[in-house]
Formats: sequence, C-alpha cells, structure tokens
Amino acid sequence: MGNFTKLIYNELTKMYIRKSTWVMYILLGVIILGIGIIANMYGELEESYEQDTWREVLQKENGQLTTEMEQEEFLQGINTSLIETNNYYLENDIQPVGYGAWQFVMENEILLSLVSLLTIIVAAGIVANEFRWGTIKLILIRPITRTKILASKYIAVLFFSLFTLLFVLLFSWIIGAIFFGVESMNPSIVLEKNTGLEYVSVFGEIISGYGYQLVTLVMMATFAFMISTVFRNSALAIGTAIFLMMVGNQIVFFFIERSWAKYILFANTDLNQYTNGNTPLIEGMTMGFSVTVLIVYYAVFLLLSWVFFTKRDVAGY
Amino acid sequence: MSETAMELMDVKKRIGKKEIIKGLSFTINKGEIFGLIGPNGAGKTTTIRMMVGLMQLSNGDVKILGKSIKTNYKEAIREVGAIVENPEMYPFMTGAQNLAHYARMIPGISKKRVQEVVRIVGLEKAMKEKVGKYSLGMRQRLGIAQALLHKPSILILDEPTNGLDPAGIREIRMYIRRLATEQNVAVIISSHLLSEIELMCDRIGIIKNGELVALQQVNEKADQNNLNQIQMEVTPVERAIELLKAHHGIHAVQVEESLSFQSEKENIPSLVQTFVQNDVSVFQVEVTKSTLEDKFFDLIGENTIG
Ligand SMILES: Nc1ncnc2c1ncn2[C@@H]1O[C@H](COP(=O)(O)OP(=O)(O)OP(=O)(O)O)[C@@H](O)[C@H]1O
Ligand SMILES: [Mg+2]
Repeated sequence: MGNFTKLIYNELTKMYIRKSTWVMYILLGVIILGIGIIANMYGELEESYEQDTWREVLQKENGQLTTEMEQEEFLQGINTSLIETNNYYLENDIQPVGYGAWQFVMENEILLSLVSLLTIIVAAGIVANEFRWGTIKLILIRPITRTKILASKYIAVLFFSLFTLLFVLLFSWIIGAIFFGVESMNPSIVLEKNTGLEYVSVFGEIISGYGYQLVTLVMMATFAFMISTVFRNSALAIGTAIFLMMVGNQIVFFFIERSWAKYILFANTDLNQYTNGNTPLIEGMTMGFSVTVLIVYYAVFLLLSWVFFTKRDVAGY
Repeated sequence: MSETAMELMDVKKRIGKKEIIKGLSFTINKGEIFGLIGPNGAGKTTTIRMMVGLMQLSNGDVKILGKSIKTNYKEAIREVGAIVENPEMYPFMTGAQNLAHYARMIPGISKKRVQEVVRIVGLEKAMKEKVGKYSLGMRQRLGIAQALLHKPSILILDEPTNGLDPAGIREIRMYIRRLATEQNVAVIISSHLLSEIELMCDRIGIIKNGELVALQQVNEKADQNNLNQIQMEVTPVERAIELLKAHHGIHAVQVEESLSFQSEKENIPSLVQTFVQNDVSVFQVEVTKSTLEDKFFDLIGENTIG
C-alpha cells in the first residue's frame, strides 16, 4: 500500500470499527426490509404476464380499475394513469414484465436521501471528532502534510457514501428479489414522463434517478465537512447541513423573485430540471450555468476546509 | 557527545495581544535528558506545541538536527516522537489497533518493531483491550509506545509521569535513561514536579511566564559550584541589599525581616564586615546548602501562577 492509501485505510478503519456506523447500516437494512414488507402486503398488481395471455390479463386489470374508479372517487387519478399505461402496452404490442427486484430498487430512489443523511453525519465527524478525542495532535506530528491528511479524510467520506450507496442498492435488490422475484436481467417498462408515456429501461432509470441525487449528496457532505473543519463541532455541522438540505427548496422559492436567486446553491442541485423536457426553475438558467455554480460552491467549501485545517494552531480548548 | 539535537532560536508565541512565550533560546544535545520545568501556565505545553509544529511560531525558529520545523517540516518531524499534554488515543480501538494506526502513518515500521515497543512499555497483556477501558497510567504507557515506534532521535514527553504509579515512573525513568545513553536519543521532559525531574534529567530549564529564567546542570555539577543559600537577619534591610549589590555584586531578596541570597560560604566574613562598617546590624546568619528546589522556588515563587 502506498502512503496515501494507508491514510485512507486508516480513516475507513476508524469509521467502520465503531458500533455507531454499524447501527446506521442496520437501520438502513430495517427500513428497506420494512418497505419490502409493506409493498408485499399492499401491492396489488402482481400478475404475471405470460407470453400468450398477457393481453387478456391487461384487459381484465383495466376492467377492475374502471369499476374501482367508479366506486371510489379518489382513485380516479391514479387508476386513469394505470389504465393508460396498460393501453400503451396493448397498442404498441409490448409484453409487460412483472414487478420485481429492479423495479423495487428503482422505486426506492428516496433511500438515497438517507444515504445523504448518513454521509453528512460521517463527514461532520471525521475532522471534529479527532479534535474532540484529542487524537488530532498525534496525527499531525507525523511526516505527512496536513493537506494530505485532510484529503485522506475527505476521500474516506466519499468512499463511505459509495459503500453505503452500494449497500442500499444491493440490499434493496435482494429484498426485492426475495419478495417479488427478479423480472429479468435488464427489464424495460412504460413510465409516465413529461413528454407522455415512454418505454424505458429500468436500469437507466435507476442510474439517472440515483445519479441526479448524488449531486445533493456530495454538495451537502462537503458542506458538512467544511463546517466540521472550520468550527470543529460535529453537531453544528450535522445540524446546519441537514437543515439546509431540508429547507433548501423553500429558500429558493422564498427568494425566487430576486435577481440573485439563481446563484443559490439549491437552485442548482437538481440537474434533472434540464432533462426529460423539464423546465428550469428560473428562466434563463442552463445546465452549463448550474454546473459552474456547483463547481464554485464545491471549490469554496473545500478551500475553506483546507485553509482552516492547514493554517490553524492546534491548541487545547 | 555534545552534538546538537534541537535548537530553539528566539522562539516567541503571541496569541492575540498576549505574548505567551517571550523569546526562548536554548539547545538540547544528543543523548541528553532535558527537563523543562515551570509552574502551571508557564508555557511548557505551548513551547512543546511549537517544537512539534502543532502551533506556528510568531518569531524565531526551531531546528531539529539542523532542519527547520518551519521550512522543512516533514524532514524535521520524522526525527521526533512526542506526547503533547494528555496521551489521547482512540477509545473505541484496542491498544494494538491504535499502535497499528500510527504505525501506518510512517513508512518502514515493522510488526516486530510494534511488538518491541509494546514490550518496552510493558503493555503486552493489555494489547487486545479497548483503550477506553485503560487506566490513565496505561494510556500514558501507550502514548510513550506510540512516540517510540519510529525510533526518533528526539523524544518529547509532556508530563509523562502523570498518572503513573511509582513503579511505573521508575521503569520509564530507567528506560528513558537507557535510550539516552545507549541510543543517543535526546529527551525533553516537561513537568511541574521538580523532585521527579531532578532524578531523571541531566539539565533543567526553568520557565516562568514564557521566559527561560534559568538553565542548570543537575547532580554532581550543581554541587561543584559550591553555592550556598544564605539568610541574614539584618537592619535596615534595604540598606543591606544596596550594600551587597554595590560591594559584592550579589542580588539579594528580602524575605520577611531577613535577606536571602546565594553565595559561597567563604564570603560570609567579608560580607559581615561590609555590613558592620556601614552601620548595618547583623543579628543572625543562617547557611543552607543550596538545592535545586530552593533555586526553583527562588526563581518562580511557591504559589504564583501565570
Ligand atoms: N489557545 C490559547 N489562547 C490564549 N492563551 C493560551 C492558549 N493556550 C495557552 N494559553 C496561555 O498560555 C499560557 C501557557 O500555557 P501552557 O499550556 O503552555 O502552560 P503549561 O506550562 O503547559 O502549564 P501546565 O503545567 O498547567 O500544563 C497560559 O497562561 C495560558 O493561559
Ligand atoms: Mg502543560
């Protein structure tokens, strides 16, 4: 192992040796399992679509949905779109796949905000804790520059989020496979997009769905890392990062009339606003603009962390 | 034997408007055990923090084997092993895991070396236990083990005997002595307990309010200069102090109704003569062998902090 690799290894060891980290993973697992159980109990559309009978199955479903709709007013919206989807299959002569592990993973996209949350907690602690434990003194008196130590900590946080993301994907897939089976190796389904119904690959949906959220994850983790390095206080870092993540959109809408609203970080974290025929939040914003704003914020966060970590005296409290 | 291991050159530290360290200059030789002693808040820990690069120097430089801690940090710090203030370790890891962690931060530390160091500090039995369960003395030992891993040329220990039992202190003292004589390691030890440092050190620097107020050889050399602590009951005291300064170049201080100063015993008759000739009445003369302890208290006073 190279010198720098060893530093990252050290950081990951300290992370994963602690029980609190494992509690996080157990919680994630329990939540995914819970979603699986609930989906299994209340999921209704679990027909299998056989080669020669799928057309009749879809027709029957449509019939059921229509009667349901007539009895229960509030089901109108959702059932109409389900019927439309079924019709899309029929009209285009596509044999639908049943529900299964891949679609379960796709629908659990929301779990990525939990991954963000855990990453924020880890990022908030990784520098502040060394100060709290007093071990920072023993780390800094090694023949390693402070820049390298800080970089190893930051990269370890990114690894943590990657591992956690993989855990969520893998565990969701396994739970999905156990409860619903595996639909096929690379299933495609009809989904309602802005431009209307579309036949898309589930795999592609998973990648873009999780991928767009990664922007927020990385930005908020870096923000928490910065607060933690500047103030050496993990609670403060967790608090501010989570608070901002939750109210970020409200902040943007509160200031939406102002000319500088488009420079707010949260106006730019959702890159999905430029794809799939979506309209950008504020007129005139482009993908290039948002990416630039994100890079500037990111660089400022890292620069502040670096300045405070490398330039400051390490004294007692 | 008197090659320089570490050199402090007019080291100052200002925090805000307050000057905490006011220009320290001294050298520590290879194979020497140097004691840095002073009351609480004197600036020992601050000085050590600057020696190891945890704090930036406001002025001056620290050279370790000729390498500047300011401009050649990596090369300089490679030669140093240290405990700064408390021996803090990761409480959720075992002793072995803690040492492995620090071993990974410096190239070329073998597993064998780690075991060797554990044996030196006598922690073999506690290696598989979490450090959170260690006693203060055990943590202190682990701290020393950590500082020794990379065979440093300079060992800096801030209050290393804090928390150790008498047997532990003796062991560490013997080990430090061996490091200095056999491997020519320079050792810097800070303490506010004179008695324990006196037994361990070759030389002592007394620091007060961020200033070095005395540098003194310990043991045989201290006795050779033959200085005695002398108390004289005289009136008027002020006049006596002036006379001592003018005629003998001795700086005396007033302790209650008496004078207190250091001088050789042979000087006493001529001092008394001076007093008598100048109408100062002498009631009593008391001579004690000057110990380091007296000197220490003379220099810093018994209970003054800051
Ligand atoms: N971060 C800081 N900001 C302001 N003043 C400080 C800071 N750190 C230390 N000091 C002051 O510097 C002086 C020296 O402190 P230092 O910790 O070096 O003393 P010490 O000799 O190690 O004392 P002790 O025997 O109690 O360990 C003290 O007066 C303290 O108040
Ligand atoms: Mg101290």
